[in-house]
This record gives sequence, structure tokens and C-alpha cells, in this order.
Amino acid sequence: MSSQLKVNAISDAAGANGNAITLATDGTCTAKITNNLSNRNLIINGAMQVAQRGTTSTSAGYQTLDRWTSSMAGTDEACTFAQADVTAGTDPWKAGFRKAFKVTNGNQTSGAGAADDLSVTQNIEAQNLSNSGWDYTSSSSYITLSFWAKSSVAQTFYTGIRIYGDDQREYCFAYTLAANTWKKVTHSIPGGSGHTILNTNALGAFIQWPLWWGTNYTSSGRAVDTWQIKNNAANYPDNTSTWYTTNDATFELTGVQLEVSDHATDFEHRSYQDELQRCRRYFYKWNKTGSNRYTYSGGYSSHNNSAFIDITFDPEMRAAPSAGSFSDANVTSASFATLNPECALYIATATQSDAAGRISTAVDFSAEL
Amino acid sequence: MSYKLPSKNVFGDTPNTILKFTDDTKSKYITVPKASDNTDYQEYLKWVEEGNTADPAD
Repeated sequence: MSSQLKVNAISDAAGANGNAITLATDGTCTAKITNNLSNRNLIINGAMQVAQRGTTSTSAGYQTLDRWTSSMAGTDEACTFAQADVTAGTDPWKAGFRKAFKVTNGNQTSGAGAADDLSVTQNIEAQNLSNSGWDYTSSSSYITLSFWAKSSVAQTFYTGIRIYGDDQREYCFAYTLAANTWKKVTHSIPGGSGHTILNTNALGAFIQWPLWWGTNYTSSGRAVDTWQIKNNAANYPDNTSTWYTTNDATFELTGVQLEVSDHATDFEHRSYQDELQRCRRYFYKWNKTGSNRYTYSGGYSSHNNSAFIDITFDPEMRAAPSAGSFSDANVTSASFATLNPECALYIATATQSDAAGRISTAVDFSAEL
Repeated sequence: MSYKLPSKNVFGDTPNTILKFTDDTKSKYITVPKASDNTDYQEYLKWVEEGNTADPAD
């Protein structure tokens, strides 16, 4: 014997949080499901698994974790950026995160300068956001950012997003961390009238975690939870400087997810290989182990001493990549004759008849935003 | 920061690239393609706009 439930909505007992399931008259429904969803996260390497360049650095820029970059200006002593282990038994560890992006402060002996800045950022390719399904022109359409964060210093921090289109617009919100305590932060961000986002392979948005943003770039009048046209004199409210003025203070970040939704869903855990493939659109470490990669003859009758190495990028890179420095041997006049999103061609003149030319180090190809 | 134009390759062609030195001794460089969507090339164009000139090829 069967029965049928005829309702137009299902909500929790209090009913104060909207409907969990809303049924339409055409027999369909929409549901706010938070678990077992996939293909939602617009952030690449949000679980901090992939670090093709290395695992620790005291330089700003793209240095360690793939897709994550940092800014660092005006410091007295450089900070350290590193891929760190999440301690077993902690809440993010129980949620399946084993790695975090860790920033360890230097000793800022001259204090928190007005022109100093220190931040962690992920840049998002425009077409990934413009094609995500977010109606960024509507204040009732949302993207939701969620992440785990921990600071050795109790403080209120800010996180910001900037979108790039016909103009640049920015939004920020605040969150407060207790000392040495992991916290899961979630925040929903509405679209807005007049917003535009490029639909190309250029920079479309960035998400930024400032640890110190000097007063040259902040304002006490900057309101949180609202969009503004980019204002470099007021990107954020004035920052608290406690973390930045504490020698060896630490900040850790993992489980970063940005999704088209008005609520946060469970983190979309991806395999290492899935994340690596996504990262390789922006950075490709060819010959990672530094083994000998020998040249071959091009076979041109008039260029018998020419030597080549043909490199294919799979997946295709975001743009024609820059090629990093490397070591080679038994060749001269080496150069990259081709640098395209899908391939690179190394070409040189062989100098030995009895020893093949070779590249004997890794080569970094970068098409970062 | 400094740049250098590339030398001709074994075929006598000039690569469509710019060499960006990454150290003060100019012993290491990255090869930057002249592609408008490459951010290193965008940085180079800005550097030129500021009145700078790349070193000539060898």
C-alpha cells in the first residue's frame, strides 16, 4: 500500500531558514542539498595538495602551492610561505584535509607600515566565473565562499573578492579567529546591478586573504558586506595589526571552496591527480625529476647539426607560457622556437658528434594569471 | 629587472620571444613569448611604456 504526500515546501521545524525543498506546480522541485555534490568548486587546489614549484619559500608571488600567490611589501623580515601538514585529530583533519597553506610572519621591527602589505590570493580565470551559472548582475544570486582558517594570534581578519569586467568591483567581509583554533568560515556574496565579468582566459576575479593591509590602502569608512567600485585607498576597513606585529605569528588556510549557491555545501574533495591536471593549465613542471632528456636531429639536410626537443602540454595551458631557466649540455645557441598553449619546441645547435645534446634539469612553464 | 632580445636560432630565425633576467648577474632568464595574454609579456610591455629598452641580442 502506498501513500502520497502533497505539499509545496518542506522546511525545518522552526521554518526560519527558508525551505529545504520547494516544490513547483510542474512536478519539479529545488532543494538545498549540502552533501555529496560535485563540480562546484571554482577554486583550484583548495585543499592545498599540489605544490609543483616547492613546499616552502620566503619570496612573494607564485612560489609554493599551485594556483596560490602571495604579496609581501615593506616587511623588515620576510615571511615564510609553506605547504604545511594539518595536525591529525583537528576539525579540518577530520573533514579530510591533510595540507594547508601556512604563512609564518617575520620580525616586523618597524611596525605595521602604512604602505606594507601581506596577503594570500587565488586568481580566477574569467571564463570559469562568467560561465559558472552565477547571475552576478542580480542581488538575489549568490556565490558562497567557505574555508578553514587558523591563526596563532586572536584577531578579526578580512577576506575580499574583486571582479574584473568593464570596471573593477570589490567586496569584503570580516571574520574573527580565536588563537590557535581552527574555524570554518562561510560567507555568501550577492551579485549586483551593473556587475560585469570578462568571458576570456584573462583574470576575472581574485579572492584575497590580507594578513596586513597598510592604511594607505584601507579606510575606517570602508563598509563590509557590500560592493564598491575598486578604491585603492579603501580596499578594506582599517586592519588590526596584532598578527603582523607579532614575530613568528602563523596563519593557516585550507579547504577553500567558492561555489554558485546561497549557502555553503560540503567541500568537494578531489583526487591529487584531478587537482594536478587543473593546476597544469597554469603551471607545468616538465622533466620534474631532472633526468637527462636528449635532443634529436631535425633531419634537415642543410642543418645536420640542429637538435630539438618537442614538448606537448596536456592539458593545453591557459596562454602561451613563459619558460624558466634550465641547464643543457653538448649544444649551443639554444632557444625556444615555439611557445604555444599546447606545445613548446626547444631548438639548439649540437656541438658534439659523439655525445647527444640534452636538457638535464626541470623546466618550468608558467601561464599564471 | 631587465630584458634582452633573443639571438637568431640555428635556422637563422629570430624567436618571437623576450628574455627576462631573473638575477642581478644576468646569468638566469626566463623566455617570454610575445603573447598578449601572457602576464610576463604584459609586464614587459608596461616596462617598455615606462621608457625602458631591452638589451640587444648577442
